[in-house]
Amino acid sequence: MKSSPFAIGLAVLGVVFLIVAALYALGVLQLFASTSSGPHFKHAILFAVLAVASFVAANFARPKTA
Amino acid sequence: MNLAQALFMGLLQGATELFPVSSLGHSVIIPSLLHWSFKQSDPTFVPFLVLLHLGTAGALLVLYRSQWIEISRGFFTAAVRGSITTPAERLAMLLLTGTIPAAILGVFFETRIKSLFASAYVAAGFLVVNGVLLFAFEQLRRRAERRAALDTKPREEQELSFAQAERISFFAAAVIGACQALAFLPGISRSGVTIGGGLLAGLRHQEAARFSFLLATPTILGAGIVEVPQLFSTGVPLGEYLAAAVLSGLAAYASARFLLRYFRSGRLDPYGWYCVAAGVASLALLHFSL
Repeated sequence: MKSSPFAIGLAVLGVVFLIVAALYALGVLQLFASTSSGPHFKHAILFAVLAVASFVAANFARPKTA
Repeated sequence: MNLAQALFMGLLQGATELFPVSSLGHSVIIPSLLHWSFKQSDPTFVPFLVLLHLGTAGALLVLYRSQWIEISRGFFTAAVRGSITTPAERLAMLLLTGTIPAAILGVFFETRIKSLFASAYVAAGFLVVNGVLLFAFEQLRRRAERRAALDTKPREEQELSFAQAERISFFAAAVIGACQALAFLPGISRSGVTIGGGLLAGLRHQEAARFSFLLATPTILGAGIVEVPQLFSTGVPLGEYLAAAVLSGLAAYASARFLLRYFRSGRLDPYGWYCVAAGVASLALLHFSL
């Protein structure tokens, strides 16, 4: 599935994941965390990995010029 | 936990992590059967398990060092290029695909599920379920062999008719990765469900084991590294724990070598029988408080 809008969507998703990762690392976001204070590095690493995966998928979905 | 207990737990964890028999189940059941007094809710127990897992992950990294170099190189090349051209690049992307569902489920549900089911009785029950699952995987594989008219051929020839790890679909990799979440239930084996998932996806036994071990490495290593700060909490006997981790790594390395050799022609059935027998025996011993 190669199309520019799909690739852009995945890239945007990657940026969102990066922001969520930063918020968890800074302790701002506490959603779905076992404790209600402090940074959550497990969650931050997960969202950083998801961001990387989204950027990789966006690059795969990008139409290539021959 | 004294030094002998720590070393025993290291050996047990390393030996059972890669065999399809549930290391977590054994870690819950055996101390209970031996009436050991240490509590698994003790704050020093988690760092201990973290180190043991790092030992296992280290052993897998050593075993597959050349493949991991190729996989890492393949990942960066394919990610930058935006296309897959070599088997190593495909394997790298399959492992990423398989790791993501396991990581999501691990981060959000692992602690809750483990704490819900962390009793020796439950673990023994799930060990029986694990054995039944292993039998089911093998029955489905035998059916596939019959369908392909392979059932009269020698085992090694049968195995060669199935695929290598690099050939499975991305959907299958994601499903196998998600199956790892079943292993949060003590008694259900991570390698058992991933090897079984690999068999259902049409892999050879040996390749299903290789994919399972490769898939386990980033998950175990990632979870271990995140928990490292707990190792430096007060009162942790780091020397004893490190010795146990080394023993765990050695046992895991020997287990992986054995299993890769065994799965050239071996099946999951013997481990299924072991799990059913061990689960039933453990339930009886726990019930009669022997």
